[in-house]
Amino acid sequence: MKTIKQISIFLENQRGKLSDILTALKDENIEIQAASVADTIDYGILRLITSNQVKASELLSAKGHLVIINEVLAIEVESDTAAFANAIDVLTSGGCTINYLYTFHKAGKLVLIIRPSNLEKAEKVALSNGLNLIRGWE
Amino acid sequence: MVSKFWNAEIETMPRKKLEQLQIERLKKTVEIAMGSPFYAPKFKELSITPDSIKSIEDIRRFPFTTKNDLRSTYPFGIASISLDRVVRLHSSSGTTGNPTVILHTQRDLDEWADAMARSMYCIGLRNTDIIQNTSGYGMFTGGLGIQYAAERLGALTVPAGAGNSKRHVKFITDFGTTALHCIPSYANRLAAAFLEEGIDPRNTTVRTLIIGAEPHSEAQRKRIEELWGAKAYNNFGMSEMCGPGVAIECREQNGMHIWEDNYIVEILDPDTLQPVPEGEQGELVLTTLNREAMPLFRYRTRDLTSILPGDCPCGRTHKRLARFQGRSDDMMIVKGVNIYPIQIEKILMQFPQLASDYLITIETIDDNDEMTVEAELAQATDDYGLLRNLSKEITYRLKSEILITPIVKLVGKGVIPQSEGKAKRVNDLRKNF
Repeated sequence: MKTIKQISIFLENQRGKLSDILTALKDENIEIQAASVADTIDYGILRLITSNQVKASELLSAKGHLVIINEVLAIEVESDTAAFANAIDVLTSGGCTINYLYTFHKAGKLVLIIRPSNLEKAEKVALSNGLNLIRGWE
Repeated sequence: MVSKFWNAEIETMPRKKLEQLQIERLKKTVEIAMGSPFYAPKFKELSITPDSIKSIEDIRRFPFTTKNDLRSTYPFGIASISLDRVVRLHSSSGTTGNPTVILHTQRDLDEWADAMARSMYCIGLRNTDIIQNTSGYGMFTGGLGIQYAAERLGALTVPAGAGNSKRHVKFITDFGTTALHCIPSYANRLAAAFLEEGIDPRNTTVRTLIIGAEPHSEAQRKRIEELWGAKAYNNFGMSEMCGPGVAIECREQNGMHIWEDNYIVEILDPDTLQPVPEGEQGELVLTTLNREAMPLFRYRTRDLTSILPGDCPCGRTHKRLARFQGRSDDMMIVKGVNIYPIQIEKILMQFPQLASDYLITIETIDDNDEMTVEAELAQATDDYGLLRNLSKEITYRLKSEILITPIVKLVGKGVIPQSEGKAKRVNDLRKNF
């Protein structure tokens, strides 16, 4: 599988919650490549790509956070809108549905973190269309 | 001159004479209850007979009766007389086990209607009034109990029933309703319904509100009175005693006169079960003096209150109960509905997605009771839809159990404060008292 690990942390609306998580990661020298959280009223899900997902997950669980690891696609494209649009077009033309996505820049490239509704299918579509799936940093 | 009393002799009876009446009625009640398979053996064991009662202090020889006794003898185990003389039963919802059933003879119903009619007269309602009842008709005593009393008073009585604010608005407007019976939160909701239709409730014909069945503060009462430009009187009743008509505020609006010709009133320390000094808070314990089908002795209401010392300027000699200060058990009254935390726990435990901790918070929002249930998630998820569906499903299942719709919040570990020993499950932030 050419997918990468993402950790998702349940985040209730409580002052200091996010700081707690970030401080815990900082103290263990875990670097965050990308983070995403949507605005909801009562709770959120904090999604992270870090330099050490397994360690980050164990660490946060031990601190009492609700954490789950799942697999997502990380597609590296040129850092322009045309490349971004092309990647999405490839997936959707191939019949894939995207649940969510977020992006970050890495060494002059754009990385798309994508959670499709069918991971295996999306992976196949991406590979057969020449998209560059990267494997994270572990 | 028109009397300010429904029954001047009873309502203004000198205390000594009232006590004498209570002793006579207690004797009579004991005689009736010797026919009860529940009380008869207890009386025998404690040597309680009508003749053994010499003073009102003798009430302390009697055994207590609890809601559990009503449940364990469900449905007719406490009845003092044979069912052929029973004409009606009322019942609680029974969501925490067996429902409790209260039986009435025709005489019980007549006395009940008379007591509540007396309460209505006490707050100034007369046969010229048009009284609209917003309580549910059926097993709940707030429906028929108010209906028969208002009819006894001679008032035109509108049995509009619970819910459907638009219809209430129409009836009040069309019929010229002068008095409403409702729970305090519904007084607010109905006022809002008027405002939505562009009518200021102060411009309606409503001049009096009988409010009860839900704890409320003096401030809430003031607000209701301002909203409606009307007087709101606190009314107390419970189905075990009959229903509404046990106690009501007079026009002084300073404490509820409890009709002592019908009840012996004790205020006891809920732990030691010994009387507290007058004016101090304790649990209200009531003995019925004017009921046949199912008299109850020393019934533990679990309501915490106190007796207001001194005489009431209105001239009534019956003792006054202070605003209720809470409960000596964990029952909550939210939007007029009796709810035990165990009912909520039972539902939450049916969800494997949840861990065991939860917290119920009740607060007053825009003068309405709101309940929030925080439930701890057992594990994380990357799926917002799953969380949304989960809280929806929990809300739905809770609603069918407790009859009101709580706000359900899913929380992570450690959010619900842990306390030493017994977990704190309920946080009641209402400023009722």
